[in-house]
Amino acid sequence: MNCEKYYLPATVEEAINILRENQGNARLIAGGTDLVLQLRERKINTKALVDLSALKELNGITENNGWITIGSMTTHQQIAASGIIREKARVLAEAAQSIGSPQIRNVGTIGGNVVNAQPAADTTIALMALDARARILTNQGEITKPVGELFLGAGQSAIDPTSEILLAFDIKTPGAREATAFMRLAKRKALALPIVNVGVWLKLDQTLSKFEDIRIALGPMAPVPVRATNTEAVLKGAPLQQTVLLQAMAVLEKEISPRDSLRGSAFYKKEMAKVLLKRAILVAVKDLGGELGE
Amino acid sequence: MNKTLLQINVNGQQHQIEIEPDMTLVDVLREKLGLTGTKKGCNSGECGACTVLLDGQPVASCVLPALKAQGKQIITVEGLGTAKELHPLQKAFLVHGAVQCGFCTPGMLMSAKALLDKNPSPTPEEIKMAISGNLCRCTGYKKIIDAVMAAAAELRGEKTITMPTVGEQVVGSSVPRVDGIPKVTGQAKFADDLSFPNMLYAKVLRSAHAHALIKNINTKRAKALPGVIAVLTADDVPGRNGYGIHIKDQPVLAKDKVRHYGDAVAVVAAETLKIAEQALELIEVDYEPLPGVFTVEDALKPGAPKIHPNGNLVLHRKVYKGDIEKGFQEADVIIEDTFKTPMVEHAYIEPEAGIGVYDGGKIIVYAVSQGVHYHRSEIAANLNYPVSKIRVVQTTTGGGFGGKIDNSVHILVALLALKTGRPVKLTYTRAESIIASTKRHPFTMRYKLGARKDGKLVAAEVEIYGDTGAYNSYGTAVLTRVATCALGPYEVPNVKIDTYTVYTNNPVSGAMRAFGAPQAAIAHEAIMDELAKKIGISPVEIRRINAFRKGSATPTGQILNDGVGILETIERAVEKSGMH
Ligand SMILES: Cc1cc2nc3c(=O)[nH]c(=O)nc-3n(C[C@H](O)[C@H](O)[C@H](O)COP(=O)(O)OP(=O)(O)OC[C@H]3O[C@@H](n4cnc5c(N)ncnc54)[C@H](O)[C@@H]3O)c2cc1C
Ligand code: FES
Ligand code: FES
Repeated sequence: MNCEKYYLPATVEEAINILRENQGNARLIAGGTDLVLQLRERKINTKALVDLSALKELNGITENNGWITIGSMTTHQQIAASGIIREKARVLAEAAQSIGSPQIRNVGTIGGNVVNAQPAADTTIALMALDARARILTNQGEITKPVGELFLGAGQSAIDPTSEILLAFDIKTPGAREATAFMRLAKRKALALPIVNVGVWLKLDQTLSKFEDIRIALGPMAPVPVRATNTEAVLKGAPLQQTVLLQAMAVLEKEISPRDSLRGSAFYKKEMAKVLLKRAILVAVKDLGGELGE
Repeated sequence: MNKTLLQINVNGQQHQIEIEPDMTLVDVLREKLGLTGTKKGCNSGECGACTVLLDGQPVASCVLPALKAQGKQIITVEGLGTAKELHPLQKAFLVHGAVQCGFCTPGMLMSAKALLDKNPSPTPEEIKMAISGNLCRCTGYKKIIDAVMAAAAELRGEKTITMPTVGEQVVGSSVPRVDGIPKVTGQAKFADDLSFPNMLYAKVLRSAHAHALIKNINTKRAKALPGVIAVLTADDVPGRNGYGIHIKDQPVLAKDKVRHYGDAVAVVAAETLKIAEQALELIEVDYEPLPGVFTVEDALKPGAPKIHPNGNLVLHRKVYKGDIEKGFQEADVIIEDTFKTPMVEHAYIEPEAGIGVYDGGKIIVYAVSQGVHYHRSEIAANLNYPVSKIRVVQTTTGGGFGGKIDNSVHILVALLALKTGRPVKLTYTRAESIIASTKRHPFTMRYKLGARKDGKLVAAEVEIYGDTGAYNSYGTAVLTRVATCALGPYEVPNVKIDTYTVYTNNPVSGAMRAFGAPQAAIAHEAIMDELAKKIGISPVEIRRINAFRKGSATPTGQILNDGVGILETIERAVEKSGMH
């Protein structure tokens, strides 16, 4: 792993103080499922690690005043098993359940998934669809940012784990006629990173015959996780019809630019992104009792 | 390095251990506590061999900083049950044949235990989910799932598992496997589980190019690093600097040239693994890159870069019978096609590992193996050392599938033991195992078959090119074998089969399950289906007409007199499938 010191602070304050004292030479570690390998392969170097696992205040899921709050240290296993998340943010429960294996889900955290900043990180895609807000403790105090603004490039987060602590994510409790869905294509059902993943949040109108609003997040379609805003624009206000879906799929094809990679060709990823988008929308619409016309 | 105190409870026992702060839990368990039942198959969270329970939850201990377990409870396979008092899961794994090489078994048992602790009556689907983070390369999972179901039934008090006892009648009866109990209790010693006092750790510097000349190797800085005991290069090989089962074309340590990305260029022995790793970074190698060839087609082109002095064609093997021209003239239907199969990695869950020990003039190598006598004779020739003073001991081997027949760590640990006089351990990383071990030969196969209207084959012309990579290994044997079985179980009177073993700058291809026959089966079975379609008869019928029977002659002219089971097999398959 290659580091000289390992801290296990008991409070957030203690953690941020350790980071400050070490002036860039200490880095946060959550579950370590990404970081331990990166340290071993020397893709990341640090003198000291600051482990957040004793910080109870960063762990857990609560619901208050129309907001669901998920601590950054909450594990994928906890999220996948949470009644609140399964019922009110299905996209996130399914994304968390799809990660790695039981061994990885028991340790890996939602905060680590986001700060690791991979374009198809599963819970990250779900949080983008949910338009989650991240609460971050910085040197200037606590700030709030939309998750979509946290990615600078492949593997590059706007959060600096040597001086800032991601505390929690807030998502709006879903209102009436709102539903979500997650779709994922991978070579196997376990221990396989996604070839394509898609998260959808949508709201239908009063008569359940139109899309009132929709958010679509996908990976890996660019160096960072992306929202398909042009596709969203086509769907907003449009009637629940097959032809509308076909139109949306055609627009999606133009707005994403995946790469050829070992996991699949750019062509294949584009085609499958369209299919998964359709499936995700159908699942969410069906959840609300809506139906797609011709 | 600063030491830190770790307090953990392992299998009910409290421990206070001084550790380096960057150790992972698997290393603490294996190296500090000697609990080698927990295995390391990938060291990257992918295989599950290192699974232990942390406060009751299965975790991959190879990606878990040990200090994350501070003050917590750990259960390892050693805490599950003992040889005298086996846990129902351990019994069930033995009785159901869920243990083969046994390398995945400890991790598999821990995932299964975590499931049964929470869910006493799991469905097969829930078991699949629970063990989805544990890879097994031997059993195919079915028996493991059956075993977990059986253990659950015993734990619920519904049905006890009875261990078979060895009676008078052994043949035809189910007996427990001889090495079963050590494997389910974590006591079986795989190569990396062994340690000796005063032991050194080795690391190999591997080629940075697929094809290049070595202009110079400078080991001065590596040798000067405190804790480094030996840095060896080709000049330090006392005997023949070449090995290989049929052709001694693979260097122990590359001298003037590297021929694939995995070639060993230098090897280091040091007091710790970390020092050995640092030393590798201090070795300077000047390469002059050469153009490489990566397909058999390119390798055989006139003017292609020569990988070995005699060129890239290792062997052209011919099996001819009858009169091929006459055969095709008699044919009413002729069909041609080309088939390609890819390189395949054995991917045994246990990476290559071994220890060389120098003991008063004798060299003893404890290592993974599928053939100790071969290793012994190579070591003797490479070290220029009397074969009677060399012993190779096969340790419990975590899967081989043909991939552990070849030399891997053997010669290097013997050489380092001889040079340093101390025990030296070399364990490949997973990446190194994939880069440096042998593969199944990729084949390019051209088939041309001629048949009469009634479906009877009259002529077959086959060309097979096998990519043996940078060194021959078992290449000539695989391509000889396939020359004899390229037509599968079908009788053809006029035959022309040509096979070519070809060097490329790809990883070395060697032995793997059935030695070339499976690749050919892809081709001959696919083309038989096509032929049936073209003639207008069923795929079953064309096989019935052409399958070997008593008295048939194979392409080499061997007359099959006994035990020709293919027709019967086809009929049984037809019966079971309901296809006609
Ligand atoms: C075998 C295996 C399979 C995997 N499969 C998947 C998969 O299918 N899908 C997927 O998306 N991912 C997968 N992963 C990746 C990984 O498990 C996840 O990204 C996980 O969520 C990372 O979380 P962690 O807590 O382990 O992060 P860590 O490794 O501890 O940290 C990751 C990064 O985030 C920083 N960081 C962590 N917490 C904070 C914080 N609170 N504030 C600021 N910075 C922080 C760290 O400094 C580090 O740079 C897999 C990994 C492995 C080993
Ligand atoms: S998962 Fe830890 S060794 Fe493979
Ligand atoms: S028995 Fe599972 S890997 Fe060999």
